[in-house]
Amino acid sequence: MSLSVPVGQKPPHRRITHRLFLALSSEYIWFYLLLIPSIVLLVCVVIIPMVFAFKMSLGNTTVVTVGGKGSIQSVWVGLQNYVNVLSSPYFWQAFRDTVYFSVVSLLIEVTVGVGIALLMNQKFFGRKVFRVIVFIPWAVPTVVNAMLWGMVFDGDNYGALNDLLLRMHWIQTPVIWLNAAPLFQGIPWLSNFVSWLGGSVAMNSMIIGDEWRTLPIVAVLLLAGLQTIPNEYYEAARVEGASAWRQFRAITVPLLGPILSIVLILRTMQLLRAFTLIFTLQQYGLPILSIEAYQQAFSFGNFGTGSAISFLVGILSLLIAVVYIKRLYKEEM
Amino acid sequence: MKQKWMQLLLGLSTVASLVAPASMANAATAPKVVLKVLYMNQAGYTTTVLRQMGKQFQKEYPNVTIQFTFLPYTQMHSAVLTSAAAPTAQYDVVLSDLIWTGEFGSRGYTLPLNSYIKQNVKNANQIPQSVWNGFKVGNKIMAMPFLANFQNFYYNKNLLKKAGFNAPPKTMTQWLHQMKVLKAKHIVQYPYEDSWLQAEGLVCDYVRTAGEFGNGNLFNANGQPIMNQGPALKALQWMRMLYADGLANPNSLTADEPTAANAFASGQVAFNTNWTFVTGIMDTKSESKIVGQGVVTTFPVAPGTNKATHSADISGFQGLAIAANTPANLRPWAWKWIQFATSPAVQAQHLHSQWPVWSQIANSPKEKKLNKWASVYQQNLNSVYNRPVIANYLQVSSIIQQYVHEAIAGTIPVKQAADEMVQQINQLKG
Repeated sequence: MSLSVPVGQKPPHRRITHRLFLALSSEYIWFYLLLIPSIVLLVCVVIIPMVFAFKMSLGNTTVVTVGGKGSIQSVWVGLQNYVNVLSSPYFWQAFRDTVYFSVVSLLIEVTVGVGIALLMNQKFFGRKVFRVIVFIPWAVPTVVNAMLWGMVFDGDNYGALNDLLLRMHWIQTPVIWLNAAPLFQGIPWLSNFVSWLGGSVAMNSMIIGDEWRTLPIVAVLLLAGLQTIPNEYYEAARVEGASAWRQFRAITVPLLGPILSIVLILRTMQLLRAFTLIFTLQQYGLPILSIEAYQQAFSFGNFGTGSAISFLVGILSLLIAVVYIKRLYKEEM
Repeated sequence: MKQKWMQLLLGLSTVASLVAPASMANAATAPKVVLKVLYMNQAGYTTTVLRQMGKQFQKEYPNVTIQFTFLPYTQMHSAVLTSAAAPTAQYDVVLSDLIWTGEFGSRGYTLPLNSYIKQNVKNANQIPQSVWNGFKVGNKIMAMPFLANFQNFYYNKNLLKKAGFNAPPKTMTQWLHQMKVLKAKHIVQYPYEDSWLQAEGLVCDYVRTAGEFGNGNLFNANGQPIMNQGPALKALQWMRMLYADGLANPNSLTADEPTAANAFASGQVAFNTNWTFVTGIMDTKSESKIVGQGVVTTFPVAPGTNKATHSADISGFQGLAIAANTPANLRPWAWKWIQFATSPAVQAQHLHSQWPVWSQIANSPKEKKLNKWASVYQQNLNSVYNRPVIANYLQVSSIIQQYVHEAIAGTIPVKQAADEMVQQINQLKG
């Protein structure tokens, strides 16, 4: 036995051998066998396409047909596509708009989502019905949701929202909800600031349309988190004379942290690649990153550039996920 | 006796085989063929009409099964592109919008049809040259014209009468005057609505307006973009002025063609410039509040321009093309289907759906009986401008959409938008 190994511990090579033995022992072999279908599926539909897309992003990749056969031709350009994308003002405009869309959506989810979850966690008459009603928008398909909000936001007199606001005399003329006009036009400095951040009437309309559908699932996930908090904590706090706000800050928020982190990871990733609602209502008029990637690849036929943008979005998602996960583990420790 | 019967049967079968149509004889021996056809479910012929055509074709060629795939317009281009990337085509026959002609032709995604057309299409000159031009890349014809879509100038005669006008505008000056009077007399809040959503429809309206000012070609003979001068610049100034002065409904900035059509059919606006589908909508009770009030006419033009046609229009022609990666044994069948669907006989059966590409059908008594605006249609068709036939059209179009939209909304001054548009397009070429 080597002197460098503490007494009672196996040397590293023996530890690895031991682990391998354990892995192949009858207890674990089923574990790996049962994982094989998932791994194969993951490799086929995620890993291989990802590697292929990465390869495309490193080349001038276009569709060609030679001798009656179609194929994708890629001429190696190294990181040139990434350099081109990162030096393009269109990319940074799309980046800014994507960040605005994601951050504002997340703020709504954290505040309104927690509020709805707290409400659903209370005991009141008709709670079950309320929970079902809240969950209904989530069941609406994304494209249907987009068409529905298209009708709500129609800028003519017969748009549902305009009609309602006109009848209530809150507005004098119809508002063009899907126009990328600046917000707060009456206050120039605020209008300029919000425009600089990427906010516009159309962008905020998109956020509302998207949140209407996704907020319920966030609220339900948070509700599940709330239900894991033992009631005794609140009872003890009440005995100590803590106010409702103090209970929320000292018990609810910290204990809801882990589930909130998971929700934030999932939603950030979803929001960074949001596509359907915006594309259905605006086509290429509000080019957030995913739409920019789609346009480059499938409209312009620049699969290399489109893949490069997609990978940059992927890296961004990964970085944000790492930050959240680190924070999650920190909280658990 | 038995011998006589046998002789008679033999004789009959010989006669039958002689008189039977060649196609049937071929079909009986021909192998089974499945032809995959891509068409859209948004504009042009309806899916029902296409399926009817398919059934008719299959009656003539029982060995062929037509498998249709219908997609929204926005997904069509990417579907053709991804199909072209496969070793064997996912779609053998594809709908080819004229704006894709340059790309498909120069990159070889579809086959040139010159030899098929030369051999099989009689009286090709019965299809107007403007229609053929939409599908030509150099001397190569990349698609067989399928339908001749174009825009019309629509106005509400009751609203115009209320404003004191008995005739539609013939010049841009008259049109502007009529819109101002309609607004000043509070007959309508906004006299005009168009589809200026940042999409391809905006480019169509821009090209047409440039045409109304004398030249709808956005590139000169040397292939240089000329949006920052002459008619194209005047068009941009005109569009901005209509928006800024409240003559065009602000909703135009987010409206697509159906939305603009609805505004006209609901009686909210007096003018609409739109594709031929509005003719049907405006006189359909379930869809329109202005039945009997809508009129189709030619476009007003700037004085001294478009002297030959007295109108200026934009083309939205559709063609049918054979994918370049269609297997060799399927190509003759793909052409047979194209020849059938685009034939004068088949188009004559579906006149109520779309304007035919064949002049003899368009000018037929049947068409004139079915469509009271036939002569206006013909005049508008003769005055079309095509969008540029270039390989990277979609990139150029994307730049045009962005700057025209921003210029109308007032985000960028008109001249600056036009200059930047030209600069960006030149950079693209470089």
